This record gives sequence, C-alpha cells and structure tokens, in this order.
Amino acid sequence: MFELSRRAVGRIPGAAAVVASVLVWVVLLGPLVVLLTQISPHSIRANLDQPGALAPLWTSLEASSIALGCMVVLGTPLAYLLARGRVRAARFIEAGVVLPLLMPPLVIGLLLIFLLGQAGPVGRVVSGIDPNVFGVNTFFALVVAEFYESAPFYIITAAAALTTVDTRLEEDAQLLGDRPFRAFRKVTLPLAAPGLATGLAIAWARAMGAFGAVLIVAYNPAGLPLQIDQSFIANGLSAALPFALLLIVAALPLPLLALLWSSRALGRHQTRITASAGS
Amino acid sequence: MTPTRMLEADFAVARRTFDVSALLCLGPGERLSLFGPSGAGKTTCLEAIAGTVPLKSGRIQLDGRLVNLAKTRRRRLASLAEQPVPPLERGVAVVRQPTTLFPHMNVRANVAYGLGGREPQGARSIEDLLEHVGLGGLAGAMPDALSGGQRQRACLARAIARPFRALLLDEPFSAVDAASRSTLRSIAVEATTRADAVAVLVTHDLAEAQAFGHRIGIMDDGRILQLGGTDELVRQPATVRVAELCGYRSFVPHESGKLWALHPDRFVEGAWPQRGVVLSGIVRSVQPFGPRFACEMTPCGHLEGNGADIVAAVGPPLFGEITPGQNAVRIHVDAPPRVGDTWEVTSLSPPLVSRVAVMGGAGRMNDCQIPAAIPMTD
Repeated sequence: MFELSRRAVGRIPGAAAVVASVLVWVVLLGPLVVLLTQISPHSIRANLDQPGALAPLWTSLEASSIALGCMVVLGTPLAYLLARGRVRAARFIEAGVVLPLLMPPLVIGLLLIFLLGQAGPVGRVVSGIDPNVFGVNTFFALVVAEFYESAPFYIITAAAALTTVDTRLEEDAQLLGDRPFRAFRKVTLPLAAPGLATGLAIAWARAMGAFGAVLIVAYNPAGLPLQIDQSFIANGLSAALPFALLLIVAALPLPLLALLWSSRALGRHQTRITASAGS
Repeated sequence: MTPTRMLEADFAVARRTFDVSALLCLGPGERLSLFGPSGAGKTTCLEAIAGTVPLKSGRIQLDGRLVNLAKTRRRRLASLAEQPVPPLERGVAVVRQPTTLFPHMNVRANVAYGLGGREPQGARSIEDLLEHVGLGGLAGAMPDALSGGQRQRACLARAIARPFRALLLDEPFSAVDAASRSTLRSIAVEATTRADAVAVLVTHDLAEAQAFGHRIGIMDDGRILQLGGTDELVRQPATVRVAELCGYRSFVPHESGKLWALHPDRFVEGAWPQRGVVLSGIVRSVQPFGPRFACEMTPCGHLEGNGADIVAAVGPPLFGEITPGQNAVRIHVDAPPRVGDTWEVTSLSPPLVSRVAVMGGAGRMNDCQIPAAIPMTD
C-alpha cells in the first residue's frame, strides 16, 4: 500500500511535465491547425487568382532576400568582431546591435522616418539622390525596415556560433600558410556554419514577417504582412487567411530545414570538440 | 649565408599573475627542452615564439625574420616601422596540447592542409608520412574517431610535412605509449636536423626533456631559472629550487658547509646490487640536532670511510656521515628512531653516488639520468 502510493507520488512530476508539454505544444501549434481546417481550397483560389494578388509575395521575397544578403555581407564581419572581442568597444557594439531587438517594431518604424524621411538630415541627403527610390514608402524603405527588424537576430546568433570556434584552429591554419581570410573560409566558416544557418533561418522568418516598422515607413509596395492586414480590414478574416497561409508557406520551410540541419550538424561537431578537448 | 643564430628571443609576455619572460638563443639544428611544473609559463613561451600572443616587451627573431614584437606607442603610430612577418611566412610548425586538428577534415586533409598540393617533406607521399608516424590506414579517419595518441601523431605529421624553421612541441607525446614515444621523438629530431631548424619541446617530464634536447631550460613562475646541458641541470643545479624541480626532495646540511640534495626515486629500498657496501646498523643514541634528530648507529661490520663520506640509510633516504675512528655513523633524520632499531646503511661517497644511482634501479630509472645525491654549489 505504502509502496504503491510512493510510486504514484513519484509519477506526479512526470505526468505534470507531459501535461505541460502537451498544453504548450497545443497552444503554440493550435492556431496553425485551426488555420488549415478553416481555410477552403475554394477561397484560396478565389483570393489568389485575382490579378496582382501574388505581387505582395514577390515584393516580400525580393525585399527579404536583399535584406538577408546585406545581413550576411555586413553582419558576418561584425559578428566575427563581436565573437573575438579583441576590440575594446565590443560590448558597446553588442549593445548597439541588441537595441533594435529590444525596441518595439512600431518605434523602429517611427525612428526610421527620421533616417529615411525628409525630416532628418540623413533622410534629406539619402532621399535627395532620388526620393522615388530612396525615400519613405519605397521598396528601399521596405528593405531597410526588414533589415532593422531581423539583422540583430542574425548577428547575435552568428556571434555566438563564431565564439564556439577555437581561435587556436584559426592560428594554426595561418601558421600552416593561410592568409587570414582563407583561414576564416576554410576553418572558421565550416565550423560555425550550423550556427550561422540557424541565425539566417531566424532572420529570414523575421524579415518575411516584419510588420511593425514596415507599417510606418514602407506601406506602399505592400509586402505580404501588410497585404494580410489590408485584406483583413477591408474584407474580413476569410479574405486574409489565404495570404496568411501564403506567408507561412513562403517564410517557414527554409528556416525549418536550416534549423533541423544545424541542430544535427551542431551535435556532430560538439562531440568532436569535446573529444579533442579530452585528449 | 646560414645565420649562426637561428632563433633569438628576448621577451616578456604579460599574464594575469606574473609575467613570462625568457632570453633564448638557438643555433641551426639545435633542440631545446623547456621543463617545469604546470603553470610555469612554458606554453606561453611557445606561443610567443609562434607569434600568437602579444609581447609586453622585447622581440623574437627566427632565421633573421621578425616573428613577434612588443607593441609600443611608436609602432602603433608609424605604420612604416618594422612589423612582424605574417603567420604564413614565419615558418613555424606547432604541435599543441590539447591537439588542434581541424575537426571537419579527415586525417589526410589535415596533414595536406599546409602543403598546397606539394609532397610532404622527407616522405614520398602523405600516406608514406602517416605510415611513418604510425597512422597507416587511418588517412580517411575523422579526428573525433581517433584516440588521444593518434591525434598527437597526426598533429606531428601535419607540423613536419611543411618546410619549417622552428618546430614547437607542446607536450606532444603525452598521450602516446612509452614505446612509440621514442619513435615519435626521433621522427621530430630527424625532421629538425634535416631542416636545419630549431626545435623547442615543452614537457613536465624530465626524462623526456633530457632525451629530446641538447639543452634544457627549467622554468618556474614565468622565468627560466637555469639553462644548460641535459646533465648540467641535474648534476649542478644552480639553486635549491632548480634541484627541487629536478626531483631532489631532501636537502641535508653537511659539516663541510655544503648542502646535499637527495633524490628519493634514485634509492631503491632493500634492493642494493652492490651488497658489499650495505651494512645493517643498530641505533645507539638519538639526540635533537637543529630541527632534526641526530642518531648514532654502529654498523654490524666495518664501514670504510672518514668524516667527509656520505652515508645513506635504507628506508626513507637519509643522510649521514661516518664518525672517524669509531666505525659509527651519524644520521640526521626528521623522525627519531628508537634506540636498538636496526637500519641498513651504505656509503654514498661522491665516487659511489652515481654507481648507486645507476645500479640502484634497473639501470636508468624512469629513463631519467639523475644521480641519487649531489652537493649543491651554493
């Protein structure tokens, strides 16, 4: 009797964990399931067959790709700088990178008006080149807004990934005859690749879904998130849902694949690193 | 023109608790062992020579090329001032501890990394070189599939495959079994000689240091306490600390004014090949003597010698002298024996010291060539 009750008590934490996990999982994935059950193939066709209905998708894909490209080219060196921490100002730079992450997207949008709009000195110079290309409510503004909302995710994740690469490996590659950039490309990059991929995946999803800042500074060539908002306000939920599905389909598979790959690759490298450290 | 000085180093590296400084000068083909306890700054010395840590002061030159230079205000300002050559032109080969094989490449790719498609030095092919270091058949293995010793072999192969001016070895054979160790050591020696380069080995194993180097530098707290021939260090330690680091544990003052250092490992309890010298003795009296005790014992038999002769008692190594004319032995001990106890004693007078040491163990104990007892010079 005593044995039995003790065994039952011992099961409580396990059962609670299972219940909690299921609850969290249902709460997180529930809406997605509902979306898939609520939406009918007919309404998808009706909404997406309209002329120009797919334009927001292309706008979002293009803007996100460009934002991501800038992120990799400009953000990776910055992440490397942060990871190696040889610069004394590394902490301040890191704080600066994290700041847009902590600010509400709407506020970022307002601040970007100062950067791109006629009100600020920078905006006056930038939009002075050609207000139709570089001003507020342009494709350029959309790229900038998406960059602001997503770049910190990439830079912070990439810095964390680059930190895990032993500096001695880079030194050895250079002593074995590599120029610094080649050592980075042949040794650091492959070893940090899983983490970099995770960062890119998160950043891609953020860029595709960027809404807050975009709403303020770049609503004219409408991206998908804005299209969803406009359809929802104008024609209600049933009109917005097909675009929501489109956004999920466009934004998610790439990051999911990258995450799955990197978690596997990371596990493989980690066993290697601990194995070589143990010698 | 071959420079008579291959490696010239006079530097200090700042560390958290103390500075690591060294003054080294090695000729072509010369090998140096840096020996000392862990945390003494040996690895920091290697990193300084490889140019991978910034110097606090001084400079390091290898084969006439500057490999490391302290950052001074003037150097920061004047970009035209002399700069160390970039890592790829230094000609420095390193084997580090823990090993630094590239984890995403197999053994072959690791060894071939610095070759750029050329043949490895001193071998016909990479497979040949791998066979040479005992990794035949493992060319395709990933580093995480290798044992610690195999990784060290692969690192050595990678280091000596390229032409080098300095071979820097940081505990390179610590995970290798004793038999293969001497093979790998001779491979490293051979590669150094062939390249007419210098080699610096860091180790905390004195036997290893003696077997590898022409000279040994003994390091402690960031400084090289003594730099000398492999025998010089153990036979004429400059200070008590050096003697301690060499393994001498007991220091006994002698009435001649000298301090005698005893190496406990060089005495083999109960096993004395030259039985003729060993005598049993009975303790006659025990008296306090400074911080120790002086006990007089009478050997059961005749012990040759005079007051200057050194005597060791079997058991914990002890020190004493023969009292002239009385055929008695006086020994200074930490813990007093009881009167009437029986001890074994033997003469360790200087000509016999080395014989006892050498014959006491199985020839050369731990491969280490250290006498059992030496007079300190100071």
